[in-house]
Amino acid sequence: MTTYRAPTQDLRFVIEELIGLDRLSGLPGLEAVTPELLEAVLAEAGRLASEVWAPLNATGDRQGCRLAGDTVALPEGFAEAYRAFVEGGWNGINAPAGDGGQGLPELVASATQEVWHGANMALALAPMLSAGATALLRRHGDASLRERFLGRLVSGEWTGTMDLSEPQAGSDLGPVACRAVPDGDAYRLYGEKIYITWGEHEAAENIIHLVLARTPEAPAGHRGLSLFLVPKYLVEADGSLGARNDVHCTALEDKLGIHGSPTCTITYGERDGAVGYLVGEEHRGLRHMFTMMNEARHKVGIQGVGVAERAYQQAVAFARERIQGRRPGGEAAVPILHHPDVRRMLMTMRAQTEAMRALALLTAAEMDVAEHSPDEAARAGAQRRVELLTPVVKAVATDQAVATASLGIQVHGGVGYVEDLGVPQLLRDVRIAPIYEGTNGIQAQDFTLRKVLKDGGEALEGVLAEADDVAEALRADTTLAGLGDSLAEALAALRGSTERLLRDGEGDPLVPLTAATPYLAQAGLVLGGWLMGRAALVARQGGETGSQDAAFYAAKVHTARFYMRHVLPQAHGYTPAIHGGSDELEAMDDGHW
Amino acid sequence: MKILVAVKRVVDHNVRVRIRADGTGVDTANTRMAMNPFDETAVEEAVRLREAGDASEVVAVTVGDAGSEEVLRTALAFGADRALRVDSEAPLEPLAVSKALAAVAGREQPDLVLMGKQAIDDDSNQVGQMLACHLGWGQATFACDVALADGELHVVREVDGGKRTLAVALPAVVTTELELNEPRYIKLPSLMKAKRQAIERLGLAELGVDATPRLELLGVSEPLPREAGGERVDSVAALVDRLRNEAGVI
Amino acid sequence: MGVLVFAEHDGAAVTEAARRAVSAAGALGGPVDVVLAGGDGVEAVAASLAGTGVSRAWLCQGAPYADQLAEPLAGRLAALVRAEGYEAVVAATSTQARDLLPRLAAELDTQMLTDVTAIEDAETFVRANYAGSVLTRLRCREPVKVLTVRATNFAPPPGDGASPAVARLEPGPDPGLSRLLEVQATDSGRPDLGSARVVVAGGRGVADAGVGELEALADKLGAAIGASRGAVEAGLLPSDAQVGLTAKVVAPDLYIAAGISGSIYHVSGMRDSGVIVAINKDPEAPIFEVADYGLVADLTEALPQLREALEQP
Repeated sequence: MTTYRAPTQDLRFVIEELIGLDRLSGLPGLEAVTPELLEAVLAEAGRLASEVWAPLNATGDRQGCRLAGDTVALPEGFAEAYRAFVEGGWNGINAPAGDGGQGLPELVASATQEVWHGANMALALAPMLSAGATALLRRHGDASLRERFLGRLVSGEWTGTMDLSEPQAGSDLGPVACRAVPDGDAYRLYGEKIYITWGEHEAAENIIHLVLARTPEAPAGHRGLSLFLVPKYLVEADGSLGARNDVHCTALEDKLGIHGSPTCTITYGERDGAVGYLVGEEHRGLRHMFTMMNEARHKVGIQGVGVAERAYQQAVAFARERIQGRRPGGEAAVPILHHPDVRRMLMTMRAQTEAMRALALLTAAEMDVAEHSPDEAARAGAQRRVELLTPVVKAVATDQAVATASLGIQVHGGVGYVEDLGVPQLLRDVRIAPIYEGTNGIQAQDFTLRKVLKDGGEALEGVLAEADDVAEALRADTTLAGLGDSLAEALAALRGSTERLLRDGEGDPLVPLTAATPYLAQAGLVLGGWLMGRAALVARQGGETGSQDAAFYAAKVHTARFYMRHVLPQAHGYTPAIHGGSDELEAMDDGHW
Repeated sequence: MKILVAVKRVVDHNVRVRIRADGTGVDTANTRMAMNPFDETAVEEAVRLREAGDASEVVAVTVGDAGSEEVLRTALAFGADRALRVDSEAPLEPLAVSKALAAVAGREQPDLVLMGKQAIDDDSNQVGQMLACHLGWGQATFACDVALADGELHVVREVDGGKRTLAVALPAVVTTELELNEPRYIKLPSLMKAKRQAIERLGLAELGVDATPRLELLGVSEPLPREAGGERVDSVAALVDRLRNEAGVI
Repeated sequence: MGVLVFAEHDGAAVTEAARRAVSAAGALGGPVDVVLAGGDGVEAVAASLAGTGVSRAWLCQGAPYADQLAEPLAGRLAALVRAEGYEAVVAATSTQARDLLPRLAAELDTQMLTDVTAIEDAETFVRANYAGSVLTRLRCREPVKVLTVRATNFAPPPGDGASPAVARLEPGPDPGLSRLLEVQATDSGRPDLGSARVVVAGGRGVADAGVGELEALADKLGAAIGASRGAVEAGLLPSDAQVGLTAKVVAPDLYIAAGISGSIYHVSGMRDSGVIVAINKDPEAPIFEVADYGLVADLTEALPQLREALEQP
């Protein structure tokens, strides 16, 4: 069976050296983060993840979840593993101390989240969804709701869910039909939601559903939606659990992957209506929901990095041991790790995973600055960057995770297609990531239209200007000069694409919509190049000043070189599609399909 | 009962150590370090004894440079109440460490000293026994079970060919085997709290310890690899034939 | 003058490891004396030292010594070292030696050496550390050198010659700090793993064939049973059978690794064996890299076949 070890060295490298802990330690509330603390946090999270969570990954896949009366039976060991996580205090890692959390930065929390997802993605979805529900309650819930529900959501004693989709309302939530009828100072909810991740289970004492529903008289469409908190068990004034609420899991999905994560159909008000409490303002439910959308999407990107890392580790372990075929001129059969094409696959997996880890963690650091900086302009600038980078992290990291998991199978050959070693599971599991929390197509639109074209490319240019500096610095370094050229050329291509879309998009909205996905892919490669280039520069000096060992820095430089020479140039391949307009697609008559 | 638990910072057991090119020692620069695993067991046992109500205070101690405070923080995160470091820039020989610990025990007056049976770097397996000697206390090495009974300790020791159970009068020194317990998963809030706790520092001179090295290091090397080139035999009969007639070992 | 060897014994004769410790002691120069601790029967043990070149055997008799209590024994030996002016104390590495000698060294205020693998001269030693992955050369000029030696690295003494003179030690004081409550021997009727001439070791792969098959083969060969960490973790074999870095280091004439993949950890515990045989169904198991004879086979078939083949002359 496959094993997993937290990539603590690279996580620390990115946080301490590529981003720089000093970027955070000046921020109020985050002073406590030192390299020693970071090391200890990652080591301990890694230990629980690899010793307790990771061995259950295959169990979850094999056993799956099943409806058992009014609840869902989880795979063996999942409930215990979740409780070990809660008892370890990991759930509240980035929640404010005032809410019972540990107040650590998003940057550190993101690093641990990668580890949980790498160890066991299906299980890690429970705290991931809870985090979304918790953030909504913290920001929009009134004092009495926060008082009653927040503490135990932060601790993880209770889990939270996000109940949005209905059969007719998926990517577009306008048609949501779930009803909320006022009943005293609460509401009664009626209706059905689908695709509710961790919607029912008994790993936690209570489940807090955050539900989008429509009040009577509400306008149709997005503007009529309100957000409600619907607990599985009602909570008495003294905090004790009361009656079972009229909210039930009525079906479980049979899915391609993440079998250990119960994906529920949740039905409200089969009998007397599910008691719910309005969160925030009436009719502003969707807006409230959007305030945590960046975090949620960013977390999916992190999830992609986690699974990709595991696929890479697994492929390397196999390639080291599997002896097959000879090297040119060699006598004896060698481990397949020594064959050029296998090395190419492994290096591709590694380079893309490291690039996306860097981008995802950098975005997390910007989230911290946006939240904690005492300087208003710094906060605004960071927030703008978070907005810009979030769709890139979500879409590019998850697309690459799927590609990486697929390459992982390829490295194994036939054995990879067989379930015995647990190789296919990673691909099946991570295949959801490009779909949920806004499909990658929606991310591409968001990025292209809202994040780039809307401000005339200004926020993006701010990042690219930093990348120019990296390209210059690389060119100035005799051994890395070629990498600087490669980066500069890729930057020029991305700028060309942006200019073209700004120009052509003016007149024809179909142009940017058609180009959005290749444009985002190109941007993802170039932003990855920016950070891998910076990583190469940092790693070159690392031997003297860094906290990691020499072999790590050497490997980082090799990986960055590979990225710049073999991965980044693929950015140019997207140019024709971005520049190509929408004619071919539009020309197809509906009958031609 | 007060427990003093001695811990050491060592190269993480997952790291394959590298010998410095000039053969003057093992390269520990930028290498992942961790608490000696046997000491983790000792800390865990100490904290369990306190949690069970058998002990009232657990004090962690290490002898080392500033970097070794990291393992004291780990001990605090496990649940030790206090921590102190005897400052020594250079790694000390076991005899000197045992004298430093004896001096600390003199100040702290513990009823029990717990520590790992050996550190996985130096592998000397000496400090606990030496400490017991300096203090004139009883010792129980290689403990795989420890229980307090009528004011003394009953310790099951893992020895060659089986187990031996000793009754040891308190105060005593007990050194631990990994089988003694399974160290807990450290909680994040404990890590955060440990980070803020103060660590007391003591100097060797202040403790009156003469740590002059007694041994002279001449060099380190890797053991020679076993010569490869074995033969694959295709049957049990062929194997028995080789063992009888070629190797002559059966 | 001279070297004192703390020799362990089984009540009838000194162990093979102790005999090798005597040879190691010889490399330090000067006459070698031995101390035998135990009860009344120890007298008989002295005879087993005939031919080892030992000059004198001290009998250290009394209940606390027979019970292997470190405190009284270390105290008594320290007094003996001082009285006789020994320049070194040597013992084969064992749990008893590791328990006793550091305490003795502290009594004598000397920095002892653990796990010496080579004695170059009376002051120059090589010892293994970092779990056997590093060899450290040291010069020790302590007035009294105290060392445990890895017996498998030293040849046994030639084996003919006179018996040593026997002398009785007056019992010393017993500080009464500890007392023995119980001894649980893992009594398998097989030779001691540390000194067995043949070791049959099993890994996780033994589960298919059954531990009984492994034991039957070991009994056929008069071998001790060894285990990989995997087999111990899987509950197939007891932890005191574990061969590896921080467990037992063995070097028998013949080591048969059955169903053991051959992690670095395991290999460093048996690499000094005379002949290594690997039987594994995975042709790529790393154990084959250190094996003198490798057989790719399923243990369910290979173990019974091997036992039967050994019955044929």
